[in-house]
Amino acid sequence: MGLVARAIEAAGITTVTLNMIWPYQRLIGMPRVAAIEHPFGRPYGDVGDAETQRAVLLTALRLAESADEPGHVDHLPFRWHEEPKETRWHPAEPSPIIAMIKQRQQKKQEAGA
Amino acid sequence: MNTVDPWRFAGGFLSRVLGGQIPEEPSHPPIPWTPLRVPLERARVALLSTAGLSMREDPPFDMELERKHPMRGDPSHRRLRADASAADVEANHLHIDTGYIARDLNVALPLDRLHELAKQGVVGSVATTHYSTMGYQGNDASTLEQQTAPAIAAEMKSEQVDLAILAPV
Repeated sequence: MGLVARAIEAAGITTVTLNMIWPYQRLIGMPRVAAIEHPFGRPYGDVGDAETQRAVLLTALRLAESADEPGHVDHLPFRWHEEPKETRWHPAEPSPIIAMIKQRQQKKQEAGA
Repeated sequence: MNTVDPWRFAGGFLSRVLGGQIPEEPSHPPIPWTPLRVPLERARVALLSTAGLSMREDPPFDMELERKHPMRGDPSHRRLRADASAADVEANHLHIDTGYIARDLNVALPLDRLHELAKQGVVGSVATTHYSTMGYQGNDASTLEQQTAPAIAAEMKSEQVDLAILAPV
């Protein structure tokens, strides 16, 4: 996503990237980052929570005017309404890459045992 | 000042996998910069999500590619209509629970909220077209970077977009 932001910005359009894992900024170099502490899959807010969705979007929009240097990271003050252990965001089955990594780790452990 | 904890919802395993990709110090090329050319209340705004969203009448993102080759992800993009709601859109992404998007598109692509802000005059207008990519690109994002991203930028330019708000999922 950060790569897409860079390309759009380079083409002459202002971008703001909302981002949960904002340290990716060190790898990618996005023009403006709005860091948000929301679970994966629901960056703007929960189902039906129009108030939070609007506030997050508005904060990201305003960053387009207020950020004054390339690579600016703004930490948004939103707090998710559930604790992480109560928050379900995972897919029903692990993604192929996660399944592959876990399988490899298991094989390594078995080989080492 | 409040600092966002990037790993709060990730869990230990994913934090280690993703965190391991991120350098301690910035390692990116110079950052492109385009100041907003009009005030926000006159800006034409487009949204972009990495949730693998497609209009139901369009081909969905290719999930079989990733199932067969876990280190690859569909590098293409889809155009989404400004009046799309959850019922018009399919979400394909193997790394999240897409059920929330199926119930309320605004959790990842807040078109309803953007229309409201345009109506209130907070932003100038809502772009005709919005966009989605597939966030997972495996170990090769070169097609996304060199072909898809410039194509999206050109489409936005042709529709006079001033500001794009991007959100990974």
